[in-house]
Amino acid sequence: MNPAFVAGAWLVLGLVASTTLRRRTARLAAVVPLVGAGLTLLTARSPTAAVPLGGLNWITGLDRAGQGILVATGLSMALVMLLQPSVDVSVGRTVGVVGAAATIAMASSDPLLTALALTTAIATLVLRWIGQSPGRATLAAGRVAGTGTMALVAASPLLPLSGFTTGDRPIVVAALLATGVAALLAVYPLGGWAAGIIGSLKPLDVAPWIVLLVPVVLIIAERIPGGVLGDGSPVFEHVLLVVGLGSAVWGGIWAARGPAAMRYGRLFMADIALCVAAVEGASASPAMTGALIILVTHLTIAPILLRSEGAGLLWPRRVAWALLSGVPPSPAFWGRLLLLEALAAGNVGSTIAAVIAMVSIFIATVMACSSRALVLPAGGWRGRLPELAAWLLLAVGIAIGLAPQSLTRFVFGS
Amino acid sequence: MGVSAPLLSAAGVIGAAVAMMADGRRAVAIAVVFLAAGLAPTAATFGGAPGVAVIGACAIAAVVLAWAGWLGGRVLPWLSGLDPTIPAFAPSDRLFGPRSARAFGAAVAIPVASWVSFNVPVGQVTAVEGLLFPMAYAWTCGVIRLLVARTVEDLLVGVGMVGIAIGAAWLLRGGGDSFPGAVLACAVAPLAAFLGGWLHGRSSRRASPLVEAEA
Repeated sequence: MNPAFVAGAWLVLGLVASTTLRRRTARLAAVVPLVGAGLTLLTARSPTAAVPLGGLNWITGLDRAGQGILVATGLSMALVMLLQPSVDVSVGRTVGVVGAAATIAMASSDPLLTALALTTAIATLVLRWIGQSPGRATLAAGRVAGTGTMALVAASPLLPLSGFTTGDRPIVVAALLATGVAALLAVYPLGGWAAGIIGSLKPLDVAPWIVLLVPVVLIIAERIPGGVLGDGSPVFEHVLLVVGLGSAVWGGIWAARGPAAMRYGRLFMADIALCVAAVEGASASPAMTGALIILVTHLTIAPILLRSEGAGLLWPRRVAWALLSGVPPSPAFWGRLLLLEALAAGNVGSTIAAVIAMVSIFIATVMACSSRALVLPAGGWRGRLPELAAWLLLAVGIAIGLAPQSLTRFVFGS
Repeated sequence: MGVSAPLLSAAGVIGAAVAMMADGRRAVAIAVVFLAAGLAPTAATFGGAPGVAVIGACAIAAVVLAWAGWLGGRVLPWLSGLDPTIPAFAPSDRLFGPRSARAFGAAVAIPVASWVSFNVPVGQVTAVEGLLFPMAYAWTCGVIRLLVARTVEDLLVGVGMVGIAIGAAWLLRGGGDSFPGAVLACAVAPLAAFLGGWLHGRSSRRASPLVEAEA
């Protein structure tokens, strides 16, 4: 099956779900990411990874890691929707468009097509966010993330760089790509626009960005230095190393200091910033394995923690925070250990910044574990279903902590 | 026949400057049409008749789709939608308004585009230097418009400007994939115009009393 067909299925299902479902059946919108994930499993696997640094060659195919990340994000998004106390029907449309865009971006070696797919995803998200909560924070998402996608579009006529690996051209291309990646992952400047939207929107509205888009952009960013960037490689890597570490420290501190409702969003951004810094700053190292473990952990835990604190699941939430704390044998411990190992191979400054970020994240998770939110007891077996699903997810999280490399190999094939 | 590079640049600068200052309900279509007119001489020089056709079709499609979007937004049965021309937040009183910031940005974009034009070669078959100025200027202006945006309309104008600028840059790049690339990049501008028109149509639709009462 062609990835374009899978993207089409995401799109059509999303549009159909948002127009046909009603308030009582809104939760059925979770079928969109579930079917998307299922169809992704059926796509023909490409032997090579798609790196968007080539010419205009449309869709090349999904490799094993690309397939793994799309299936994992689809399943996680479906669980996020199923575990929400209430679901807005129109989110199905956003999920469909973002899922389709993520599939195209992951499967394309064409820089223009990848950039336009990401532009579509960001435009859909931003219009929804501004419509839900017009304000400085949501407009900033459009300004910064929009600028990021436009930087990626601008790099496209200058690619591929074959024959131009020295001089100003590769440096300009690297600067544009780094701007695009940093803006889309909100690691610019210091946690950037995402903090505002996490604070002003419901978790389900932010979930398509956190669960569907960020992991895909992170994997694409990891592949870019492997392409031919020539003189631009150090620019790309160093810019993302510095802004990533800065954002990780900032996100970690604010996860500990900021309001409890924003804690998971801040912590997620701090972890992603650490991954970007380590993967780009120390690419030939265990950083990628660490980043994949962190990604799988968040995709497993996000459905539980992207619920408001007062909506139940008190104990599952506490265990989920413990899994993110970084205390062995939690999966976050192994992921962050590998990231730290990679950064320590670089320079002492990176190591110190990473340790500060990790300590801040640990403090934030301890504070979250000890919070005493007032939760109304769930009545009947229907009320108990989310709790059961949450405990099953936590069991998967614990399994990742016990066998981190085996499970990431199972998901990503490497 | 040789073409004067300063003349091509001047046309691009005028088109981008008008696009930077365009405001109101038809801003996206106006910006796209003027920028397309400004970049058409460059497209004609490097892409010939097909190049002009791509840029011209983009401008016509933007006007038509903006109108179609407006019409579609009006007839669909929604109560009201997001008005793209209303600022998302109320800024504090300042000496200089949003247009002044854009004018300043347009001035700053000149040296940036000039540097890019003379230092970054574009092209796969033969590297071209010194002729990227109109596209680099339009792209920089588009990004500045995005960065200083106060409304959804501003965001859409910025995206439309970048789309046409990059489409023209694909024509300059040459090679077999220059036209498909230009078409794909230019398609962003009419889509932005459609979205702007759609949002206008939705927000300008008069709510029926029955629907309003139910809401």
